[in-house]
Amino acid sequence: MKKSIFLLSLIFVLALAACSPTPQGPKFEEEKINVYTRDTTSGTRDGFMRGIGFADASANDSVLVAGFITADNNAIMNAMATDKAGIGYVSLSSVNNTIKALKFEGVAATEENVLNNTYKLKRPFVMMRRVDGDYLNDTEYQLTLAFLAYVASNDGADVIANAGATATSRTGTWASQVSNHPVCAQDNSAVTLKFGGSDSVQKIAEALSAAFSPACGNVKTENDHTGSGDAHKRTQGGEKDGVNYKHIGYSSRFFRDAELSGPEATRTQMAWDAIVAIVHKDNPVDGLTAEQLTKIYKGEYTLWGDVITK
Amino acid sequence: MNNRKIKFSEIFLNGSVFLSTFLSVLALGLIFFYVISRGTDLISWELFTGNYHARNYIAEFADLEEKTYTMPDFSGDEEVYIVSRYGIALKQDFDLAGNGVIKVHYVHPQSPFNQMYSKEVGSDVVDLDAGMIFQRISYIDHPTSLSRNGAERFASELNDPQREVFEIFFSDLGGGIRGSIITTLYLIFMTLIIAVPFGVLTAIFFNEFSSNNWMTKLMRNFIETLTGVPSIIYGLLGITVFVPLTIRLTPAVNSNLIAGALTLSVIILPTIIRTTEESLRVVPDDHRAASLALGANKTQTTFKVVLPQALPGILTATFLGIGRIIGESAALIFVLGAAVKDRINIYEPSTSLAVHIWSMMTDEPANIALSSTIALLILAIVLIINVSVKLSVYLLSKKGL
Amino acid sequence: MKGSKTSLSQIDTIIGSLLMILALVASSFIVIIATFIAIRGILPFITDNNGLGSVNVLQFLTDTVWLRGTYFISTAYGAGFIIINTLYIAFLTVLMSFPIGVLTALFIAKVAPRPLAAAMRTIIELLASIPSIVFGLVGVGLFLPLIYQLARSLGYSSGAGSSVLATVFVLSLMSIPTITAVAEVSIRQVDESLEHASLALGATPTQTRFKITLLAAKSGIFSGAILAVGRSLGEATAVSLVSGNARSGPSFGLFETTATITSTLLQGLKETSGIDYDIRFSLGILLMVVILTTNFALNFIKRKVGNVHE
Repeated sequence: MKKSIFLLSLIFVLALAACSPTPQGPKFEEEKINVYTRDTTSGTRDGFMRGIGFADASANDSVLVAGFITADNNAIMNAMATDKAGIGYVSLSSVNNTIKALKFEGVAATEENVLNNTYKLKRPFVMMRRVDGDYLNDTEYQLTLAFLAYVASNDGADVIANAGATATSRTGTWASQVSNHPVCAQDNSAVTLKFGGSDSVQKIAEALSAAFSPACGNVKTENDHTGSGDAHKRTQGGEKDGVNYKHIGYSSRFFRDAELSGPEATRTQMAWDAIVAIVHKDNPVDGLTAEQLTKIYKGEYTLWGDVITK
Repeated sequence: MNNRKIKFSEIFLNGSVFLSTFLSVLALGLIFFYVISRGTDLISWELFTGNYHARNYIAEFADLEEKTYTMPDFSGDEEVYIVSRYGIALKQDFDLAGNGVIKVHYVHPQSPFNQMYSKEVGSDVVDLDAGMIFQRISYIDHPTSLSRNGAERFASELNDPQREVFEIFFSDLGGGIRGSIITTLYLIFMTLIIAVPFGVLTAIFFNEFSSNNWMTKLMRNFIETLTGVPSIIYGLLGITVFVPLTIRLTPAVNSNLIAGALTLSVIILPTIIRTTEESLRVVPDDHRAASLALGANKTQTTFKVVLPQALPGILTATFLGIGRIIGESAALIFVLGAAVKDRINIYEPSTSLAVHIWSMMTDEPANIALSSTIALLILAIVLIINVSVKLSVYLLSKKGL
Repeated sequence: MKGSKTSLSQIDTIIGSLLMILALVASSFIVIIATFIAIRGILPFITDNNGLGSVNVLQFLTDTVWLRGTYFISTAYGAGFIIINTLYIAFLTVLMSFPIGVLTALFIAKVAPRPLAAAMRTIIELLASIPSIVFGLVGVGLFLPLIYQLARSLGYSSGAGSSVLATVFVLSLMSIPTITAVAEVSIRQVDESLEHASLALGATPTQTRFKITLLAAKSGIFSGAILAVGRSLGEATAVSLVSGNARSGPSFGLFETTATITSTLLQGLKETSGIDYDIRFSLGILLMVVILTTNFALNFIKRKVGNVHE
């Protein structure tokens, strides 16, 4: 029995020794960079990797640094709050004071810098509706158009800003336009508008739905976000008449050529979302360039010292 | 020398026994301590009865005469900001889901916020109550105040005499778990309705009607194998078999609670069959023989003589099944998804309490406070179930004696 | 009177066959599960997946990267490292929970005074009935920060605590009550005359407990371990919250992130069609095969070990 207990403790020690041997000196420069990334389904990852000029990595794990850590948005935020040697990226709307947001090419991620195009690490939020004549009834069609007008209005822009993204249009207050949409003067509580598409847009889309409902006859809304690919698929593509059909689909990337079959008027960009590289609050680094970020994600820089000195 | 060696090994072995026991007890202690310490803050009646999705309102002031308000003293409260111009106080706070919000802390009885015109179709007046959430306030010719910028700035902008309020956007609290509680109850009810009769009748077949041949042995083995199948595999069963089946047979067009209940039924079926069989087996054969001798047939004997005596066992099985239903997460995530709903319909997907935790833990930011509160609720139910099983077994065994 | 008797026995036959149908349905579920998952899971290997080409079986079983190439375009899936991770984690879990569980059982059955033993039994039963999602929650809230600190103080880097160790901790917590409950029953069933004989021969109570009682109960104790292995192989939600969901491996270091079959299965929920969704069913087959093989192997060992000493 004693022998077996000794054996057990031996195995434990061996297992401990098998850990990736990265001795951490007291100096930050000698810390190994812990690289965090979203998984390949993520629109944030696509935007980030394209933005830093490492498009190969947008949907391909095998070109990334060995030992990278996949996590969802929330896990990356939590990790950066604790992991002093970590680096990750999130959408600007998620940034809070528990982590440190880095400048990109020397420019801070602010609403002004996103709109005047000096902050380049960003991705578009776009929408696609069903084509004219492909609605169950005219009320649904009118409500869909009203929703798009609402999103483009000052009210829509405020909702988008309140959810952390930067709206691309402000066509005036909704109160001044609502008369163009007589459908909003009816009681629409028996109608349900269905929204889908990108899950990175989900928070903003839900906020827009919630704000639109009282502004347009208490129409019911349903947000079911599964991925940018479904924006086209479920409004104009193969699943448009299936059980998961949507009136409006959101995408967190510009639509691909294959998705542009419908008329131009059915597509619109509603916002920009800045993507921000984030690190632990105690990290002395303030900003990184596209090249530095690429080298970190490729694995050419493995220590924080590489980033600071090179 | 040898003696000392023995003594040393005695101490070592005894020590390891005590240490292990201590660790096991510590584990339970840690879990309870953690869940209670993180989960009790949020417990409130509103949490259990409230909607998860907040209802939004749009309104404008009815009349706007300048008044002065005598406000209560809030200097002792942290992060409370007074808007003396309109007689309200705002607080930087968190909603039930743990997100930062601007909560209405106080509304003066004469405040214009107390009597506003609703801008919604079909309703005319609406008033702001303490506990509600400000989304944003728009002004004529001034940028809108956003809740994102925090209560302090929101209050100071609202106080600015240059700004004339145009529209007020607010909502009730949201973040409640009523929908998930109802879903859990639905699931328990539907699953038991399917699984208990099914399981009990199957157990009766094995114990009363079947002869012990290779076929029943094989069938028993098949059912016993079900207990070893991990719940995530049941999830795959649900989406490949039960979801398409229910879409075909019911008005459902997507994953739905009936498919969830069917999946859960398969999960708890082996437990119900085994427990019922065990309690059928202890019914003395004399009782069967006596009933048969009196001219009753097998069916009558089984249902009128044997089954009533097995009721305590069936009850225990039911309780164990309820525990399993409440705790199940992986299978239901597959079959029903993880989108929290307020209006529950058995033909649509919604989340049970356990899946609500999963949804909160994978949300951004991870909502540990609300998750712990739901976990506390689940632990309490599981505890009650355990105690009642023990109690019923104890009472019935006493009665039996 | 006579007529009613024959009709009565006819009722028996009818009821009997009705019940048999129910029993047949109940026992066919395992067959339904196996068949449906096998069919869906084999499809990615034998069809061309809508023009993407079929998945290579050999690569799927051996590769060390989950997906080489672009998501939803490449079919180069590999789960070899995931199988190894899953078995490794189950092994470490048993290594950790088995001694603790068995010794706790020994304490309850032989050492503790009666009221304490009853209380302990209740505690173990309670632990066994706690749903796994609660273990996951405690794992995230309590273990991850602790493990992150531990790793740092030892000089290792860890992804904010998500690691092999965290997974093993959570799974051990879940396995201990299973092992204890089963072991306790079989320890109590050990023939007391054996123990008396040992004591009479001059062995101390401690020696008796370890050398006689535990050895005599070993078959039951082993069954408990088999159940625990099954549980740690099949657990999904708690594991995916603390494992870090690595995309390549295998990970042997205690502080490295990892991925098990179940946690990878749970990652594929966002889309509802396409190769990345279908491949989850292949993982389902893999999970069932791993569980069955492990069970057979362990039962075989159990029989062997049992025979040698009896």
